[in-house]
Order: sequence, then C-alpha cells, then structure tokens
Amino acid sequence: MKKIIIITVVFLGLFFASSCENELDQNSPNDLTEDQYWKTESDAQAGVNSIYAMFYKDGLWARWIYFRLDLTSDEGYSVSPWTELADWTRFNYVNYNFWEGNVVTWRDTYKAIFRCNQVLANVPNITFQNEEDKKKIIAQAKFFRALHYYYAAILWEDIPLVLEPSKTTDNPAQVNVTEVYAQIEKDLNEAFTDLPPSWGDDQTGRPDKGAAKAFLAKLYMQQHKWPEAKTALEYLITGPGAKYSLVSNYRDNFTDTNENNNESVFEIQFGDQRKGGTGEDQNAAVSSNRGQFFAPRGIGWSDGQARFWLIDAFKQEKNKDGNLDTRLRWTLYYPDLLADFGDKTYGRNWEWNNNEAWFRKGSRDYYRDNEDYYSQVNYRLIRYADILLRYAEVLNETGNTAAAYQYVDMVRARVNMNTLATAHPEIGNDHDKFLERLKTERVLELAGESVRWEDLKRWGDLNSQAAVDKIALRDPDFNNFVVGKNHRLPIPQNDANNNPNLEQHPEY
Amino acid sequence: MKTKFTQILKQRYYLLFFFSLLLQQSYAQQQITVKGKVTSAIGESIPFANVIIKGTTNGAVTDFDGGYTIAAKSNQVLVYSSQGYKSKEVSINNQTTINVTLEEDIKSLNEVVVVGYGSQQKKDLTGAISVVKAEQIQKRTVTTVAEGMQGLVTGVKVRGGGRPGQEANIEIRGLKNLQSANPLYVIDGLVTTANRDFNPNDIESIQVLKDASAAAIYGSRAANGVVIITTKKGKKGPLQVEVSAKTSFTSMPTYDLMGTEEFAKLNNQAYDNAGLPRQNLNMAVDTDWQKAVFKSGLIRDYNASVSGGGDNSTFFMSGNYFGNEGTVVGTDFDRVSFRVNSSGSKGIFSIGENLAISNAKTDEMAGNPIIDVYRMTPTIPLYDAANPGGYGYGKQGVADTFGTNPLAISDFANTINENFRIRGNIWSELKFASWLKYRFNFGYETSVDSYSFLRKVGNWSLNQPIDPSRINQNKGRSQTKLFENTLTFKKEFGKHDLTILVGQTFQKDNYDQIYGEKLNVPINSGTGDYYDVLNQGNNPVVGGFRNEATLASYLGRLEYNYDNRYLFNAVMRRDGSSKFSDANKWGNFPSVSAGWRISNESFFKSEFINDLKLRASYGELGSGNIGNYEYKSFINNFGQIVLGNTQSLYPSATVVRLSNEDLRWEKLKQTNIGLDFAVLNNDLRLTADYFIARTEDVLFGFPLLLTTGSDGGEPISNAATVENKGFELELAYSKKINDFSFNASINFTKINNKLVELGNGQNEFFSGNTITREGSAVGMWYVLQTDGLFQNQQEIDNYKNADGKVIMPNAVPGDIRFKDINGDGDINNNDKEIVSSPWPEFEMGLNAGAEYKGFDFSMNWIASHGATVYNGFRSTVDRFDDNSNYRAGIQPWTPENPNTDFPRITKGSNLNSRGDSDRFLESGDFIRLKYIGFGYNIPRSVLEKAGIARARLSLSAQNVITITKYQGLDPEFSNGNIFERGADIGAFPNLKTYSFGVEFAF
Repeated sequence: MKKIIIITVVFLGLFFASSCENELDQNSPNDLTEDQYWKTESDAQAGVNSIYAMFYKDGLWARWIYFRLDLTSDEGYSVSPWTELADWTRFNYVNYNFWEGNVVTWRDTYKAIFRCNQVLANVPNITFQNEEDKKKIIAQAKFFRALHYYYAAILWEDIPLVLEPSKTTDNPAQVNVTEVYAQIEKDLNEAFTDLPPSWGDDQTGRPDKGAAKAFLAKLYMQQHKWPEAKTALEYLITGPGAKYSLVSNYRDNFTDTNENNNESVFEIQFGDQRKGGTGEDQNAAVSSNRGQFFAPRGIGWSDGQARFWLIDAFKQEKNKDGNLDTRLRWTLYYPDLLADFGDKTYGRNWEWNNNEAWFRKGSRDYYRDNEDYYSQVNYRLIRYADILLRYAEVLNETGNTAAAYQYVDMVRARVNMNTLATAHPEIGNDHDKFLERLKTERVLELAGESVRWEDLKRWGDLNSQAAVDKIALRDPDFNNFVVGKNHRLPIPQNDANNNPNLEQHPEY
Repeated sequence: MKTKFTQILKQRYYLLFFFSLLLQQSYAQQQITVKGKVTSAIGESIPFANVIIKGTTNGAVTDFDGGYTIAAKSNQVLVYSSQGYKSKEVSINNQTTINVTLEEDIKSLNEVVVVGYGSQQKKDLTGAISVVKAEQIQKRTVTTVAEGMQGLVTGVKVRGGGRPGQEANIEIRGLKNLQSANPLYVIDGLVTTANRDFNPNDIESIQVLKDASAAAIYGSRAANGVVIITTKKGKKGPLQVEVSAKTSFTSMPTYDLMGTEEFAKLNNQAYDNAGLPRQNLNMAVDTDWQKAVFKSGLIRDYNASVSGGGDNSTFFMSGNYFGNEGTVVGTDFDRVSFRVNSSGSKGIFSIGENLAISNAKTDEMAGNPIIDVYRMTPTIPLYDAANPGGYGYGKQGVADTFGTNPLAISDFANTINENFRIRGNIWSELKFASWLKYRFNFGYETSVDSYSFLRKVGNWSLNQPIDPSRINQNKGRSQTKLFENTLTFKKEFGKHDLTILVGQTFQKDNYDQIYGEKLNVPINSGTGDYYDVLNQGNNPVVGGFRNEATLASYLGRLEYNYDNRYLFNAVMRRDGSSKFSDANKWGNFPSVSAGWRISNESFFKSEFINDLKLRASYGELGSGNIGNYEYKSFINNFGQIVLGNTQSLYPSATVVRLSNEDLRWEKLKQTNIGLDFAVLNNDLRLTADYFIARTEDVLFGFPLLLTTGSDGGEPISNAATVENKGFELELAYSKKINDFSFNASINFTKINNKLVELGNGQNEFFSGNTITREGSAVGMWYVLQTDGLFQNQQEIDNYKNADGKVIMPNAVPGDIRFKDINGDGDINNNDKEIVSSPWPEFEMGLNAGAEYKGFDFSMNWIASHGATVYNGFRSTVDRFDDNSNYRAGIQPWTPENPNTDFPRITKGSNLNSRGDSDRFLESGDFIRLKYIGFGYNIPRSVLEKAGIARARLSLSAQNVITITKYQGLDPEFSNGNIFERGADIGAFPNLKTYSFGVEFAF
C-alpha cells in the first residue's frame, strides 16, 4: 500500500511538472478574435451593418444628440430636475466631462467612425464574388463616416480626424473644421459613385445616391458653397435621382405606419424587437428613446420640451380654409390642442402649465398613452420637404429668388396653405426678406426634426450679439449664450487633457 | 433544518468518539509510572497538555483535571507543554509524583509563523509578517475575516459596512495597484478567497505577509500582500467538543431630517427665491422614511466543533450557521458551513485533507435605501393607490422628485445571490530523512453560483415607464485545481542552520456561466406570486460563456541562520500565465532579506534589552490580476439592425473593444527595513518597519482617448507607476501580577501614496470629483473652491478679476462666492484644482485587555486622521435645486439671516448647488471604539460536575462610541471605487452591534 502511494505521488509530481507548461495557451472559447474575422463576404456585411447599430446608441440618435440639436436650439429647452442635464441645453457648461451633455455623444461619434474605419481598412482585402457588392459596402462606410463627422463638425467644429482603425495608443491630431468638411466631401463623393440609386425592399434603410447627395448639399450649404449645393440638390429634385415626393398626410413622416415613404431621403430605421439597453449587450435595443425623454411629465421623463413661441408662429397664418395650420397639430402638444384640433395629450386633458408645450413628432400617442425606451418609429433624418426648402434657400442665395417660390409653395401646398406670394406679398424678390420668411417656413415644416441648430449656424444667427439677442426674446436660454464661444461645444476634458495633439477650444 | 443539522452532528460525534478511543494508544513499558497534575500559575488545571519523554516520541496527555500518568525510565526527563504556556522540563529522578506549574507564554517570541510552503520561528523572521490572534477576530461579530482584522494589524487597512453579506475591502500597505487591493488568501495551502462564505470561526491562526520578501514565495499573486489562514486542527488527546452561540442586535445610525412642517417652509422658500410657483405640498402627510425602511437587525452565529486525535492521526470538524437579518427592509444573509480535516501518518508517510463546504445566500439590497430615505420628501406618502404598484413617490407639482421609494423597489426588484462552495485540499508528505521532506498538495475549489433577479410590475419613481415583469437568472460554476510539489531540506551544521525549499506548482481556473432572461413573467394564480423561474414569460434571451486560465510556477527558498545572529533568506519564483501573450508569459520574482540579531552578539551585554533585531529586505512581486484573454480583441456580434420594408433584423459584428497585445506582468518592488526590540523581561515589545513599495507597469484600464471609439470596458494596459512609502509601528506591553494580567498594544500606520507616472501618454485621469495626476496621490479632490457668501450686491459687483471683469455677474446676495483660480473672470471647469487628499495622514489602533481570575475584558479602538472626505448626503440635501428632504435645523441665508454659512436656497439652477465644489468636503477624522467586550469563565469547580471543561459567557459591543465631526452617517465608510475612496455616496454604514455569547467545551 505504502509503495503504491509513494509511486503514485512521485508519478503525479513528474506528470504535472512536465505537462503544465503546454496548458499556458488559452484561447477564448467564447468569441471570434479580430484576426479570425474580416475573411468573408458575410463578415463584411455584418461589419458594415455594425455601423448602422450606432444609431441605437444613447450618445447618438437613440437619445442624447436630440438634446444637442433640438433642445439647445431655440425650438426646445429643458427644465429637467437633473440640473446639469438642463444646464447643457442652456449654455451653462461647467464640467466639460459631463457625460450625458457632451462626452457620450463625442464618444459614440468616434465609436461609429471606428466601425467605418474597420470596414474601410479590412473589406478591400476580402474577395467578393461580385465586386459591385464590395464597392457598395465600402461606399456605405464612407457615407456613414461622412454623416458622423458632419454632426461632429456641427457640434464641436475643430476635431481630431481619425481615418484608420484605432489603436489604444492613438493621439489623433485635431484639424480645422474646413479640413473636416473636406474629408466629408471626399467621402460623400466617393460614396455617391458606388452607392446604388435605390435598394431592394429587403434592404430599405441603407443610403442610396440621393442620400449621399442630400448630405453633400447640407455640407455645402453650411459652408455657403451655394452653387455646389445647388448642383447636389438638383440631383434629387430634377436630376437622375428625382424619385421623391411629399406624402399627402403630413403626419406620415412621424409615425411607424408609413415608413420609408416617397418623402424619405434618409431614414434611421428603429425597431422594438429587442428589449435591451443602448450598449453592446446581447439584447442591445434597436430603438429610439426620444419619446420617453421628451414626453410630458407624468408620461415620460419630460427632460425636453418645446418653446411656446412655436405655437404663436404657427398661429400667425391660417390655411386656405381659414383654419389653423395642421402642422401645428402634429408638431406640438400645447394647452389648446384639444380646443384647436380635438386632440388630447396621450389621452389626457392638459394638466401642465399654460405656457408649456411638448414635441409631438415621433410620439406614439396614436396607439398608446405613454412612452418607453423602445420606440420603433423611424427617424426621418432627411426628408424631401427639407430638400425643397433647402433648394429654395440656395436659389435665393444664388440670386434667383423668384425661382425659389415654387419649392416653398410645394411644401405649403401639402398642408393646404396658400402660396407664399399670396400669403406674404411684401417679400417680393427681396433676398433678405425671403430668407427671413424661409427661416420661419423651415420652423413650421421641420420644428423638432434636429435641423434647427445647423440652420441657426448657417444663417449666422449665432455670430452676432444682435442676432442672439433676438433669439433670446423667444428663448431666454440664449441670454447665457456667449458669442464666439457657445456656437460650439467644449472638447471633452479628458481627451483635451490627455491627447497632446488636441487643444481645448481657446474660448473654453 | 437546524435540528437535522444538530442530529447529524450528534451522530458524527459518537462515531468519532468511537474512533478516537481506538486511536488512543499508551506506551506502557516496564518502567516506573509517574503521576501528577499540570496546573497553571493561578492553580487551574491544564487539560490536554502534552507530557513527553525527552528525546523520544513517547508521551501522554493530561485529562480534564490536568492529571496524567506516564511510564518512563527513572533517569529520563519529562517535557511538559501546552498551547499558550511555556514548556517546562523536569527530570524524573525516581519521583513517582510530579506536579508541574506551567507559566503562561504571553510573549510569543517563540511562536511558529506560517510563511508559505513552510513555517519559521517568529524570532527568525527577516520579513515583515504580522500575526493576528484568531480569537481577536472570533470574538467580534463579523461576516468576513477581513472585517475582523480592522485595527489589529499595522499596515492593514480595512473598510467595511453593515449591509448583510457585505464584504469588507482590505488594503495591505497602501494602494499598490489600481485594480483590486484585496490580498491573496491562502487557506490551508489553497490559494483562494476568504469571502463571505468562509467561516471565520474555523481559523486557528492568521499571518499577514506584508513585504516582498515574505510574500515572494507566492510570486505573481502576492503583490497586494498575502493573508495565510490556517484552520483549526485536531490535537492529540481525547475528543474535544466546543459549542458556541452568539446573538447580536444591530442598529442603523440615522440622519436628522426634517418633518413636513419644517420641510414645507424651506421648500417654499426655495421656490420663492427662484421665482417659481410653490409646489402644492401635501401637508397632511408626514412620512418618516427612515422609520419605514430601517429596523433593528439580528445576527446569529452558532458554531460547533469536534476534534481529537492520537499519536498518528488527528481530526477536526465543525459546523456553523451565520444569519444576518439586515437593518434595511428586504436584506438578509445566511451561511451554513461545514468543515472537516484529518491527518494521519505511518512511518515516513503522512497524509491529510481539509474540506470545507458552505452555502451562502444573500437577499441583496435593492436600489440604495441609504440614499432614498433622504431623497424622498416627508410629504410623500408610503403608499399611493393611484400609482402603478400602489407605492407613493414623486408627483408633478406636488412633490417634484425622482427619488425612489425604497419600499417599492425592495418589493418590485428582488435580487438573490446564492453560492455553494467546496474548498479543500489533500496533501501527503514523505519524510525521507529527518532533514528531507517531499510534499504533494492537491487543492480543489468549486463554487456553484446562482443569481436571480425578479422585476415585478410596479413603479417606484416619478415618470418611470411601466416596465414589464422580467426575470433574469444566471448559473455559474467556478473551479480551481492546484497541484503543488515541494521538497524541503532542513539541517543544522553546528552553528549553521539551513533550510532549502524547491517546488513547482500548477493551477488551473475555469468559470462557466449560462444566463437567461424573459419578459412578461406572469403571476402564478395559485400562489399570487410571480413565477420565479425562466419557464414562464416571453422575449427570451440566453447566453453563456466560459473563461479558462492557467498558471505554472517554479519556486525556491533558502533560509540560512548562523548562530541565531545572522539570518538570511532568499526566494525565487518564476510564474507563467495564460493571461499574457507568448512573448510576455513568464515573469521572475526574486527577493532577498537579512536579519541581524544584535542581542545575541557576544559584545552585546544588556540585562535590560532582551531582544534586538534588525531586518532588511528587498523583493520583486508580480501581478497578473486581469481578466482572461485581455491581450486579444474580439468580435462582438450581439448587435442587430433593422432594415427593409418589413423592418426585419439583420446581423451586425465588429470589434467594439480594443486591446493591448503587449500586456506584461505588473511588478512591485518593495524595500523593507525593520526593527524588533524587547525590554523589561520581554514585557515591552516594539516592532517598527519602514517600507518603500513601488509598483511598475500597473495593470489597469485607464480610459483611452474617446477618439479611439473603443467601448465595452477600458482595455487593460501597463498603465502607471505607483509608489507607497510607509511607516508602521507596533508597541505592545503585557504584564502579569498574581491573578491579574493585562496587555495593551498600539499600532500606528502611516502611508504616503503617490502616482509616479501615468502610462499610455496620459496626463490625468478624472473620476467623480477626483483627479489622478502624476506626482500626487491617487484620487485627489479636484473641485471648485468656495469663499464665503456674497452679503450684498456691492460685493458681487466688486468681485472682479485683474482685468476688472465681474466674475459672477449673475450672482444674487446669499450666493456662494467661488474662487476664480485662473483669473479669467469666469467660474468654470478651469478653476478646479487639487484642494485636498482622501488619504489619511495616519491610522492607529489601540488594543487593550485585562484578566482577573475568571473575568476578562478587552477593547479595540481605531483612529484615522488627516483624510478629507466627500459628504454625498450633504451634497444631495443641501443643494435645493433638486428636491429632497433637508437636514433638520439648517439656517439658509436670507436678508434677515445673513450670519450663516448656508447659502441662499433656490430651486433654480445656479452654482450654489454644484456638487463639484469644496462645499461638501469634510474632515474624515474619527476615533472609534470598534469593539469592547467582557467575558466570564465559569469556574471549573462549578463545571466539573456537569462534565464541562470550559464555559464562558461574553457581552460585547461594536462601533458604540465614535468621536468625529463628520456629518454623514459613518466616517468609517467604504467606497469600492479606487479613485473615489473618500466619497461617501450612500455607503452602507457600520452598525452599532450588541452581542451576547456563550461558549462551552467538554
């Protein structure tokens, strides 16, 4: 017995001494490693799809970017009891590392760009059966890289330009916003070449040539490159890409019942199939949280609401039948909604203050009396009405005011409004008056659709104290606005302090 | 259940008693028979004392009355020994009756200290090793071992809390890395954790290896220090049965908050000041949320053990039940544990095993009631039938707060954690010669973990979406297998005493888990409760993963002692870990240490100084304390996207999280210089140590630049260099005068932490209100600075920068004046700077005890000085821009009440309410009576008739006296975030605990 034990012990000892070092190689049994990926067409397809998934992240189009684009503008504001959250919609920036107000949108923007860069770096090395499919995938990645840089440039302006897949030690260099614009232009032009004019029914939601041209037009207009913008817009209106029209029911742009319709130029596809969070977990949601955050108190978090001057703006002009502009009905919840149009607010009588209003676009009150984190209503990022009004603006800027009228009228006619010339004969061909009216037209048509902030910037309304004072009359938050400073956000402090190639904006 | 347990115990008792009889052997030889009695100095008999014939292995053990009988040759010498007594030698010289009095050994210089793969005599130590007396821990009411060590050991900082099942944080000699400060636990040779499912009552001894030379034998896992726990073993002698029961009552400290009347006054004032219409407060309600949520807790700690042994074998078994009904609704912790060990030997071969089985179940706290009780205003009712689920919470225009009703969340969100653990090892030894020993050790630990979260339908705060019911469960299993082979050579050559140890170990860890979730779990109409299994509901999600890691090591140690004067110790360990890439798998961790026993030198002649020893050591330790597979990037394919006219889901997959492929071992380089000193006949003893511990290549995931777009956890990198310099001193005095003995000791620890360098090209790291920056300690307070209040408009207008720009033009009299640190005429982020440190300048412990006849008394004080802490409570209730309850009696600034330091209160947004200012920083100094206890040993004369060997009653209290100016619940709070150690954000406080205990031995 004793011998057996001794032999066993010695044997065991020797066995483990010799075999154990081989076991020091442990590979994860759970996931593919990066070097096993980017080999097949389906890898490329899932890879480019991952860029779309960035729309569902809270820093971007699931949630917080609306606070930057809609609430910071004079259309919206916040009285959230979460003071810092509200402060970031009224130019009270103290902590530049504030996650929800600044950092998460910055982070998710670059997260999206990282995904684009992975596709752009890896997909060219994959062999495809059909080279066209490969080109389309690369073109989508370029389109989205341009899209995310576009909004980053609107928000922060001078930012680091990252064009290669990231490494942990990267310190990307900050460039002037004009360089950012130049890169966006390059990406969009290249995307336009390889994107299809349209996608099949099962691929709806991917950008087509029209979407690329529409973003090019936005980009040119922000830089006041009017002739280039004109050319880009003409592709959609009169050129080979002229496949759009306005849907007869204005509200069809804001519900899930007529999605990806003829008016939609580029639409973010949301769904409610997955009930997870906005992170990278297994059940990560594919939804928008906007409704939950913007719905009135007692219904949603009520962190964002609409300025009351919008109601007055709508009520300035009656429609052809002498009734209120129906766009008011579908744009806002306001105290007289029931009296004016017979609609309750999520089934409730008005129980909020008499000077309050809430955004209605995208809300789901047509079939439920509350919101949640899983709104499936697609977000029409660019719709044809926006394109038409932009075209009118470009024509006005290029000295062709008279020709611009018809495009404004198309938008007005859809909601039974008189022609612009009839309603506002005083404008004539006066460039400034036309532009001033167009600003209102854009609000009436597009309020709460995340275009107001870039509009204000493009029109120079944030560049002078006089202009800002005028805005402050309708949005007192602009009393905090410092000209030369608050037209852009501070760079998140963590990145500014830790990247030797990135400086905080001097005014911060 | 409990009776069944006792039954089993009883059956085992008889069984083992039977075996123990068989094992009893006597060594009767035809010589003379010596009888006698062994007693202590005060005349009490000493049972189970060993009586050995010198130079042989023959001996006897005293009975209950201290009596013994032994056969020996008349010229032989008997050696009497017993734990806790100095051994004594008596020559027989033909005597047939020898009564011996043993002196108590309170100096313990000859203690044997377990040092990892061996043991040394305490006097021969060259490293910094502290010994903790097990009974010091066991007399406290604690959940984990760590918690019980608070204030007992120099250089060991413990921070815990009173939540049932809460595990205390322990930090040995400062924060040496940035991942986890928890030390390595080695229980009976098994590398493991001493978490809440380990029963502290099973401990026989604890050694804390603090410096590199002591811990080096554990190489790559020892960077945070090592706590070696030896559990109780059977001793040679008749069966010993010990039973103890302790019942403790716990109570929560509370905030002094306002009732409705006072609250309404201030709430209205805040709205008035902001120009807002007042809330329509519900004055009919006056809820005391603390009363509704906090209650007195009850802890029960029952132990029973049986042990015994003969010459060639010993055994020990114990059972424990520990139950903690929490001081907060819906919290509970239960532990049942069972331990058995035995050992036997025959010839050169010996074998033994340790086996512990435990089951721990925790009903976890939902939300954070410590915060919720002050975020809810007194005007909110506990229940409100109008709300989904029926609980009261904030209401628009009436009680505008997003505070959580703690009763509701405890009802609607229930988390239960349970784990069943088996932890054990089997070892065998071959003693080829008296100087050569081979040991094989196989350790095995497995834990079956189960987690269950049930979300019922119902709301707990304002504007909450109505979430569907949801059940989320996971089942996991961890396994650790450890193989160790060691060979020990130990021999004296004249004045040279040499010990050499070589060994090889291999450890394999794996953990696998499956998880699942379902929505819309229905209510079981039979019971009225929700189904709490995954069988019901819809929208299923399932997943699982497996993690595997291996560690192979070679180790060697050389101990050399020349004439008890010169001591030398060298250790080498080489570790290879699967967690690093091939190029960086292996690390070498050497250490050397030396000691000089000056008091043993011939030139050293002092009657006064009994012991004087100098020690010095240097060593390098490693750490590979990171997740598995960290050096690789993986594809995340969890995402999906919506496309197509049918709005269908499509797959998405990409790299989400970056990684660093050249991760390498973190290295701790530690130098220690120490002094041991004893005077007054060893009554007064001093141990002092100075150390410099520098950790290089600290493995930590500092935030990458956000422009990398990496998400899903910061990738680990070798990111920083951290340095801790410290001084530790322990002064102990003990004295015995007739029946009276007492002891007192003071320990003092001073540690300076410094972040020497941040890697990755980073300069600074922010977390909460702290900054971690090169050249200063980790997590310094980085906030705006206040400078009193503006008393009038003139002061506001005159508050200008050098350029004459009014700095705070929007301020109103009564607002806080902030310092414009950068002088740009504006208060913003750039005006923040480091204002103070969350690190104490020093921490102290005072332990004292006394005994007189059967009575004993002991107490333990702890003190901390110099830390600045952030009062999260005040930062919530003093801000006024967000509704909460307020501190009773505050006097905010008003034109009529300008002589106050409390600013004007306003519901509006202004700088007053900002949390990132020094307004909420407070001194964290405190002195606390951590433990005080009285015990009474019932005299043996009373017990003898009942056949009881020992009986003791004890009364004790914990945390009953605290001297502090801190305005939060508990200055001794813990924050698990390494960078925000000084922030008290709803930390669960330590509880006042009153205990009554009884112990019997027979």
